[in-house]
Amino acid sequence: MQQEAKSTRRKRLELLDMIFLVILTLLALAIVIPFLNVLAISFATQQEYLRSSVLLVPMEMTLENYKALFQDGRIWIGYRTTLLFLLFGVPLNMFLSTSMAYGLSRPDFPFKRFFVYFVVLTMLFSGGIVPMYLLMRELHLINTIWSVVLVYGINTFYLIIMMNYFRSLPNEIMESAKIDGAGEWRILFKIVLPISMPIIATMTLFYSVDRWNEWFNAMIFIRKNNLVALQLALRSIVIDSQISQQLNVSNVQTDQRFSDGMKMAAVIVTMLPIMCVFPFLQRYFVKGMLVGAIKA
Amino acid sequence: MENTVQVKNKNSLLRRMWKAREIYMLLIPGIIWYIIFAYIPMYGLTLAFKTYKANLGIFGSPWVGMVNFTYVFRDPAFFESVWKTLYINAGRILFQFPVPIILALMLNEVRVGRYKKIVQTIFTFPHFLSWIIVASIMINILNMQGMVNGIIRMIGWEPINFLGSTKIFLPMLYITENWKSAGWIMIIYMAAIAGIDTEQYESAQLDGASRLQQIWYITLPGIQSTIVVMFILAIGNIMNAGFDQIFNITNAATVKAGEILDMYIYRITFQSAADFSFSSAVSLFRSVVNFIMLLLADRVCKWLGAEGLFPSPRKMR
Repeated sequence: MQQEAKSTRRKRLELLDMIFLVILTLLALAIVIPFLNVLAISFATQQEYLRSSVLLVPMEMTLENYKALFQDGRIWIGYRTTLLFLLFGVPLNMFLSTSMAYGLSRPDFPFKRFFVYFVVLTMLFSGGIVPMYLLMRELHLINTIWSVVLVYGINTFYLIIMMNYFRSLPNEIMESAKIDGAGEWRILFKIVLPISMPIIATMTLFYSVDRWNEWFNAMIFIRKNNLVALQLALRSIVIDSQISQQLNVSNVQTDQRFSDGMKMAAVIVTMLPIMCVFPFLQRYFVKGMLVGAIKA
Repeated sequence: MENTVQVKNKNSLLRRMWKAREIYMLLIPGIIWYIIFAYIPMYGLTLAFKTYKANLGIFGSPWVGMVNFTYVFRDPAFFESVWKTLYINAGRILFQFPVPIILALMLNEVRVGRYKKIVQTIFTFPHFLSWIIVASIMINILNMQGMVNGIIRMIGWEPINFLGSTKIFLPMLYITENWKSAGWIMIIYMAAIAGIDTEQYESAQLDGASRLQQIWYITLPGIQSTIVVMFILAIGNIMNAGFDQIFNITNAATVKAGEILDMYIYRITFQSAADFSFSSAVSLFRSVVNFIMLLLADRVCKWLGAEGLFPSPRKMR
């Protein structure tokens, strides 16, 4: 119906459409081409990289860069650490967020408003990293994965999205279950979760991506060479070596340890999981954010 | 008489709480987490008024009053970082804030559904990458050997050191930030546009309004409240100028140009000899300014007649 109304609104392809299409296509290319460039360099030899000005398809394909990357070993440590963050972190996120969001979504109970403000206040005001670091030190969690796992337990924005979703569920189902003698935890697991799969899936995705991209907390709390997060492994391969390049005036091939191909191979390996799932799950991401944006 | 009523009320409150005990059980894990990892650090900012002693901890360290602040306000690097934060953020509001709105207005005019979907997917993707990945990609295409300089050489110009020059550091910040997240924020505006009543467009067409006029007089006012909310949030972040981005995209040559408040806090806390009380004082300053600016922006927007960020408490429930 809405589609119909829109198509009667614009019948021909006007000049305006052409201008917009050209601009949007150029912008989309400005996003896609850097990725293609990274991908091409990761499969190219260093000689070809230095020879060509815009490399989109390598002439002589090589896997040397990936071989060198995996031999370096840092990326393995990174993968292991980040997978540990995911393995322990995401279930914790989901447990804390789901139970709290469902609790807060229940109709009136004493001190409900207090708890809502208790949660919202943390969005407006935060202690920041300095006291958090000292707290972690006092809890003796420095240099363990638990510091990173625990510090990001609930994302209040996600919590509110879930709360709004639970609130929109018909209350009669929960009421009738309660009459049958089911407790709130039972209702949550047996009734609410099965009918809330869309939001549960979306939030699991959001938390997983956040965990995958975790670096700042890991950088502050973990300073052990065999517990480096994946993103930080990438940082040490690409960005830190670039810093030494910038200091040198003649900046061609100063850092012999890492070829540009190997650096780009590291970029590809780090973003591969997100790249693989994103096109299929994009609508969940978008839907998840919209639910929050509209209601919040 | 009054007394009995009160007792009765108290009893009924207790009874209602007892009835809700299972709901409280649901809340307990989350509340414990919030207390330990949100409220204790918040309380930890009181270190700004203490001297931190490692053996006494956050709670036991002795109070010293405003001493730390006098040190902070004596440090020229502090004022420089505050100034830089405000300056960079002013640029962000000028060169970043409007971009997603313009993108949404343009993409909304596109009729080809499949094209629209593909463009939307491409635009939103970089948001899901960390700044470390995005900075790596940017270093790759913008360095002296990179793709952009390759194109510049093909045209016959002199290559530009995009990443090593303090002069073009700020434009680079705005461009890369837009590259990463303008498309994602665009989605919020697209949703707001989808909520506009289509009848308005039909009657505008009957009156002979052009497409641009429709965008200007119907679409833009239609998403005004969304723009206002986003603006308030931007103002509420006035003391955060994008640590993740600047930390990863600066290098030895540009690090001075990017020393925002958060970089300053990071540097004094984790890179030089740490004085945690001093850092806490700076952090407290930062949090308080953000908080005040958020409330202020909200008030001003309400005063101007727009719906603010916080609905009145009654509306919230």
